[in-house]
Amino acid sequence: MFKYILKRVLIFIPTLIIITLGTFVLSLNAPGDPVDLLLNQSGGSDSKSTDRLATEEVYVKKRAELGLDKPTFYFALSDAATSDTLHLVPKQVYRENLARLTNQYGNWPQISKNYLAKRKFDLALYDVEKNDQNAGALIKLKDYSASLLTSYKETKMDVLHGNIQKLIDGDSSLASMRPLMNEVTSSYDNMKSTSSKWKTWVPSFKWYGTDNQYHHWITEVFKGNLGTSYMDGRPVITKLKEGIFWTMLMSILAMIITYIIAIPLGIYSAVNKGGTFDKISTTILFMLYSLPSFWIATLMVVFLTGGDYLDWFPTYGVGDTSKPLDVAYHLVLPLICWTYASFAYLSRQMRTGMLTVIGQDFIRTAKAKGLAQKVVVMKHALRNALLPIITLFASVFPRAIGGSVILEVIFNLPGMGNLSFNAILARDYPIVFIVFMFSAILTLVGYLVADVLYAVVDPRISYNK
Amino acid sequence: MSNQREQVNQIDQSFSAYVKRQFKKNKRALYSLYLVIFLGLVAIFADFIANDKPLICKYKGSTMMPIFKSYAVSAGLANWPEDLQNISWNELDYDWAIFPPVPYLPTNQDMINGHYIGPTGDQKWDKRKWLNSKRDETAVGPQKLPTRYWHWLGTDQLGRDVLSGMIHATRIAFLVGFISMGLASIIGIFVGALAGYFGDERLKISRGRMFMNILGLFFAFFYGFSQRSYILGDALEVSIGSFLTQVLVCFVIFFLVLALFNLIAYALKLVPWFKDKIAVPMDMIVSRVIEVMVSVPILFLLITVVALVPPHIFWVMLVIGLVSWTGMARLIRAELLKVRSLEYIEAAHAMGFSEWRTMFKHAIPNALSPVFIAIAFGVAGAILTEATLSFLGIGVSADTITWGKLLNMSRQHPLAWWLAIFPGFAIFILVTAFNLIGEGLSDALDPRLKN
Repeated sequence: MFKYILKRVLIFIPTLIIITLGTFVLSLNAPGDPVDLLLNQSGGSDSKSTDRLATEEVYVKKRAELGLDKPTFYFALSDAATSDTLHLVPKQVYRENLARLTNQYGNWPQISKNYLAKRKFDLALYDVEKNDQNAGALIKLKDYSASLLTSYKETKMDVLHGNIQKLIDGDSSLASMRPLMNEVTSSYDNMKSTSSKWKTWVPSFKWYGTDNQYHHWITEVFKGNLGTSYMDGRPVITKLKEGIFWTMLMSILAMIITYIIAIPLGIYSAVNKGGTFDKISTTILFMLYSLPSFWIATLMVVFLTGGDYLDWFPTYGVGDTSKPLDVAYHLVLPLICWTYASFAYLSRQMRTGMLTVIGQDFIRTAKAKGLAQKVVVMKHALRNALLPIITLFASVFPRAIGGSVILEVIFNLPGMGNLSFNAILARDYPIVFIVFMFSAILTLVGYLVADVLYAVVDPRISYNK
Repeated sequence: MSNQREQVNQIDQSFSAYVKRQFKKNKRALYSLYLVIFLGLVAIFADFIANDKPLICKYKGSTMMPIFKSYAVSAGLANWPEDLQNISWNELDYDWAIFPPVPYLPTNQDMINGHYIGPTGDQKWDKRKWLNSKRDETAVGPQKLPTRYWHWLGTDQLGRDVLSGMIHATRIAFLVGFISMGLASIIGIFVGALAGYFGDERLKISRGRMFMNILGLFFAFFYGFSQRSYILGDALEVSIGSFLTQVLVCFVIFFLVLALFNLIAYALKLVPWFKDKIAVPMDMIVSRVIEVMVSVPILFLLITVVALVPPHIFWVMLVIGLVSWTGMARLIRAELLKVRSLEYIEAAHAMGFSEWRTMFKHAIPNALSPVFIAIAFGVAGAILTEATLSFLGIGVSADTITWGKLLNMSRQHPLAWWLAIFPGFAIFILVTAFNLIGEGLSDALDPRLKN
């Protein structure tokens, strides 16, 4: 048995690594710049170049602090044209555009020269003395220059070059910009003329070593440092603890209620199979089982709370956490929604299990021995029928995380489901990673516990082969 | 005597006929099937049941069928004449017209009945604002909406007809159910069959091919997908159709490159060491992949992936299909683990059929009956998942109405009880019907359960 558990745990490690990798790949493809999300900044149009550089500095610093300026993984499979210094460029929009240009022209040195010239021009624009004549032109120029930094289509870039040239040629106060613009144009022409598109067709393998985002993150996790949330800067572990508390509270309560109702119900309708009670309960249980829980939850919130129809229960949240009664009052409706579907399922399961057992020979033998119906059912049949029910127990924990999202969102409970839902929408990846890992661990442990329990309660099953 | 024999022959003894008979005995399942067929017809003919255009009409002397014409227009085969562009079809001056039973599209905004007017509410129309000869300047304020134009299930905040939205949403529910489950079945059956039929030892390939295939996968991925990522992205911005075409091209390139590497592998076989055959642990690989998939809560996975793509129902279907094949794969795997050691498979081997032919033509068909059951339950699950997602406000674009979205509106405006009851009931009914069909199928297909 021990050997079996050890083997399962060992197999589990690669699975976990694959999950972290998968989440990591997903996070890389997410649109939006996490640093921007965190800083929530946007450069004003009137600021001087030094101010703009300062805000950029803040960005670069924050990015370095989060470790996002490092290569993403140990290695990269890309093409020969792709630069390995691209990740040093500040601002995600610039990086994306440069990657696109590289894909188009394949000559990184020229592209990077062009980029630097454009940046220099763009910054210089903010230092031009403003007067009544050039104010309008300046606004336009800043606009064109910004869009030049983020465009890759040749036609669009040509038009932008033309527009900028026309504006600075027509205004003497902008004379200082001319040499800078000339540099932009010449580097642009150079980039186009020395295009080496073929390089994008040569695959290349780049090795970055251990100084990469993934490595840093995973080593920190193993050290117990789960990172901080992008959204509010709080440690992930604190947010996680809160979430787990509420979700586990709900799941455990729901489970207890479920088992208390489901097992007697299942036994009773199986023993009295075909009776009125069995017929009615089977139908009701089937209906309950198929009722979407988010519909029932919505109906409850709409009709039983808020006072538009009835005002029996509070609508949202968990209430005042220092008063247990208030919390209990808040949890009544969520608990009903949490419970009804699973007890319907469990009762049906229990009934089927009981029926299968009751039809077997040893029950007939027990009856033939003259044992009382009660003894036959409770002592002989029940123990065997409980087997599948016990194993379902193990699957409750992993389901608790995933299955609770919608109910927690509707009732606005601060549990794992709500936490991870908001984290996913806000692209708060430190949290998403941990939630995925955590639920994976719970699921796999759940399966393992189920298998072990199975062997414990049923001596016929053995894993020692 | 001969008469008696005929009678016996009249009962079809084939398995499918037996299943049909068994299924028909289960009244709940049978009525569910009828209900699904009915709702399926509603989904197919949604445009003819709820539409702001007439089915057929005579307008300015010419007879036309605007709904059919709108199909032609959206296919790019025809154009609306000048005077029929951007008009309110309800208000035109027809010589005569036959309208669909529900004279609204889900997107039509009935301004005067906006801000949640219920089925029994104060529904009005205002003839003073009409644009044609029926315009009535003398009317005293807005008047009661005639029965013909009544919003039977009320309206939402923008004055959109809920009944019409529900009818058109049926189509989305069915599309999601069938397309995502179809995709999941194809992937699940194929992957599960690979694992179950070949196990860990039956798929043997030479070292050379193994080596070249692993190497080839990298190159195939590079040329097929990573090199074309910008092309794919651009195509996506044009339309889903052109995106799918590009994806197809990607796959063609992918397999061409892979084929090329397999060709090289033939040459490699000249070296004896490369010629040695080794077993591919198919079952182990597939089991690990499934383990990874099931260990992440499916709703999380869906929300995460759907959040990365532009909001469109197509993505929801695709993603649900791509993440929900594991159950199917496990079923098929378990079935084929039994089937693969049966004698008729050995016989197929003895006749010299290739492994692949034996698997596809002989082993898989024998393992399909649990799949039908799983598909019925799976469709129900997919519909429920989509409803959950759109209830959470993820995945569908702003102008697409789904049951989940309608239900969600009731949370913003609890007084609109019609939004809380009807869409949820529709989800419940369709999901239950598919579940009952699944149950009926499992009773019919499994003779052991028959009492």
